[in-house]
Amino acid sequence: MTAEPYAAASGLVERSAAAYVSAVPDRPQDDGFFGPASVTWRVAGDLSAPVAGLRSLLMQALHPLAMAGVDQHSDWRLDPVGRLAATSAYEATVTYGDRASATRVGQRVRAIHTRVRGVDTVTGLPYEAGDPALLLWVHAALVDSALAASTLFGTPLTDADADAYVREMTIAAELLGVPHEIIPASVAGLGRYIADVRPALRCTPAAAESMGYLLDPPGLDSGIAELWQDIRDAAIATLPDWAREMYGYPAPAPVTAKRRTEIRQALGVLDAVFLGEPGVLEARQRLALRMRSAGSKAD
Amino acid sequence: MKLKEWACGQGASCRTALNWFHAGALPVPARQGPARPSGVEHLQAAVELKSQARKLAIVVVAGCVSIAALTLLRGRRGDGWRGRRGDAGHRVHNLRVERGMTALRLVARGGARYASNAPRLFARAGEHRQQLRNDLALQTAEDVAATLGTMKGVLMKLGQMASYVDDGLTPAARRTLSRLQDSVPPMSPELAARVVTEELGLPPEQAFATWDPVPIAAASIGQVHRAITLDGRAVAVKVQYPGIAETIEADLGNVALLRRMLKITAPSQDVDALLAELRERITEELDYRAEARNQQVFARYYRGHPTIHVPEIVEELSTRRLVTSDLADGARFAELASWPQAERDLAAETIYRFVFRSLYEMHAFNGDPHPGNYLFGGGGRVTFLDFGLVKHFTDDELRPLVEMVKHLCVENDPSAFRQAMVDAGFLMPDTPLPTDMIVEHMALFYDTVRERGPRTMTREYASAVSRRFFDFRSPLATYAAIPRSYVILQRINLGLFALLAELSATADWRCIAEEIWPFVQAPPCTPMGAAEATWLAGRGDLAQAGRAVP
Repeated sequence: MTAEPYAAASGLVERSAAAYVSAVPDRPQDDGFFGPASVTWRVAGDLSAPVAGLRSLLMQALHPLAMAGVDQHSDWRLDPVGRLAATSAYEATVTYGDRASATRVGQRVRAIHTRVRGVDTVTGLPYEAGDPALLLWVHAALVDSALAASTLFGTPLTDADADAYVREMTIAAELLGVPHEIIPASVAGLGRYIADVRPALRCTPAAAESMGYLLDPPGLDSGIAELWQDIRDAAIATLPDWAREMYGYPAPAPVTAKRRTEIRQALGVLDAVFLGEPGVLEARQRLALRMRSAGSKAD
Repeated sequence: MKLKEWACGQGASCRTALNWFHAGALPVPARQGPARPSGVEHLQAAVELKSQARKLAIVVVAGCVSIAALTLLRGRRGDGWRGRRGDAGHRVHNLRVERGMTALRLVARGGARYASNAPRLFARAGEHRQQLRNDLALQTAEDVAATLGTMKGVLMKLGQMASYVDDGLTPAARRTLSRLQDSVPPMSPELAARVVTEELGLPPEQAFATWDPVPIAAASIGQVHRAITLDGRAVAVKVQYPGIAETIEADLGNVALLRRMLKITAPSQDVDALLAELRERITEELDYRAEARNQQVFARYYRGHPTIHVPEIVEELSTRRLVTSDLADGARFAELASWPQAERDLAAETIYRFVFRSLYEMHAFNGDPHPGNYLFGGGGRVTFLDFGLVKHFTDDELRPLVEMVKHLCVENDPSAFRQAMVDAGFLMPDTPLPTDMIVEHMALFYDTVRERGPRTMTREYASAVSRRFFDFRSPLATYAAIPRSYVILQRINLGLFALLAELSATADWRCIAEEIWPFVQAPPCTPMGAAEATWLAGRGDLAQAGRAVP
């Protein structure tokens, strides 16, 4: 696609952590669009979250028009870590921020989207980043990935909680301008939607290139790079077969109980590294206290 | 001079100074001022400041006659209160009556031996409570698994081991490991009670006469509660997190990840040796009974020692997941940093004596020179806590170490020193390096005991030792090794220097070492040494008690 050298992926943990810390409010005006009693908060704090994040990028990139928008307009090659950190800051603000903050970052992203438009060279189709159809795919990929990752490597949700999660998350898509009535609000609805979109999905050269980078980022700090291999294997293991086949990745070894434990251990180490970054522990404790008091009120 | 002003001048908090005063550990003469009706907070102590030299002398004396001093000060405090009128006076009176009643009740249960000071110790242990995040307390075994599972408990343990090999760690790893320790909240009272019930067959309120459901301190993979036993003994009960043993055992099974982690955490270290040690240490620690046995060996050996105090184990209340020992009282390491230098020197001397007397006499090393494992009283009194990391040496293991010290520091025989290094396995037999060079390299480790005279332990020295220890580029590194059984010893050695440096401790370390070295056994050279000699003379055959290695 391009011969431009990629920037090194060093500082991934540091910058993601800084983004997280800045997104978890100190003194929120209100509980935001989800709140401490929500399933969304539980899912966002799950050990499997890094796997979910990587899987959702893999899924999102399979939509040629969504991928083209990123490929033609984003500076991700120059600053891949910054791009990822910005995305996680956005997600964390929508999740944990008060309503004003979440609305504000949503509007900012919508403003950026108005400038992102063009023609996909692979399909020849025009695209606009503000197109609800594209935004809905990005949203659905994220929600589906959180469910898949927590089921396989995290704390699995009950069926009722999984439905509640999909329902709660509809607000996140609405913040970006997706009309409420087209957003799947149950696990079954989400599945139907993904099946409907599937014929339009494919692995374009841009997707192959960017995901190739993401699965094996050069310049990652040595310790993180080793852990990343496990996260990557886990993310691929959670993909639907058809998605994995589109990328041409070999079928992963079955996730045995032993393998699941190993992945969780790698995730635990990564989490410990994350926790070592300034402010992360305090941010987690703030959230834990709010979740605890919300839990005891519910009892 | 007011106590408060004096404390500020010393860089100590008023509260600390007040504690010293109460403990009889104030390094200057003090007396209780006239009582004020507004209560204990306004207690005044008139403090006379004399020269530094005088201060030092007094502290040393205070260490030897601390009981007399305490009695004296108590008497004066009583005088101050006697003149008190009004509500405050009544309150104090009532409190005393209440305590008296408690004591009587305990005596009635048959615990006359401990009853007199148990409530006081119990109360003071509460005052020294660590700041714990009880608001985030773990409620269930699932919470424990989420917090300490998936390698986090193992990493935490590595962090504890690594706190004394700081220079071997990358800065990022050091930061991560120390944060991880802060990240573990205590168990909720209900969860801790559940463990006690499972271990003792009775809920804590029935197994003990008094049980404080709120922990007073965090411990590795557990927490400490204060309690009074049914026979009136004030005790500290260390309670292990439920399910932690299973979780950690599973995590230790992932050798590949552990190796990778260690390689990242401590790139300059021998990963296999570190891994073996980590596994051994953790596995040992999961069963508190080993720790209880070790602690009892030390407690028995040091019973009656003038400054070293090891709390005795209550065996019938110690199990796989509980260790019950006498409750100890004292200031924490962080507080010691604000004490006068003379006090810190004495504390350092006690720690130094403890480490080397244990090694040379008991052939044992208690482990972890972690600052959290000490409680400090005045006059050099140190309580040693946590015997989860104890290494026992056989005579064969210890002999070459003794030989090395002897040849280098006393007999000044470089070639014999070199031979001893070879015998110990530190040096390959055919090392093609001149003896001078080997001696020069190794001498740094013995720097504090090669010559007589006072020396201050500095951070520079501690980190020079550590740097040299981890120097894999020196020509010697190719031919040097640390045999498995000495790994722990070297670590602790490094940690000890770091700890003493933290205190900026000054002493004639050589002189103290000569008292303890089995091949010298010099007469006492410090007041503490004299007190120790008296203790040694009084215990006779008991001196061998510690040798009874399990």
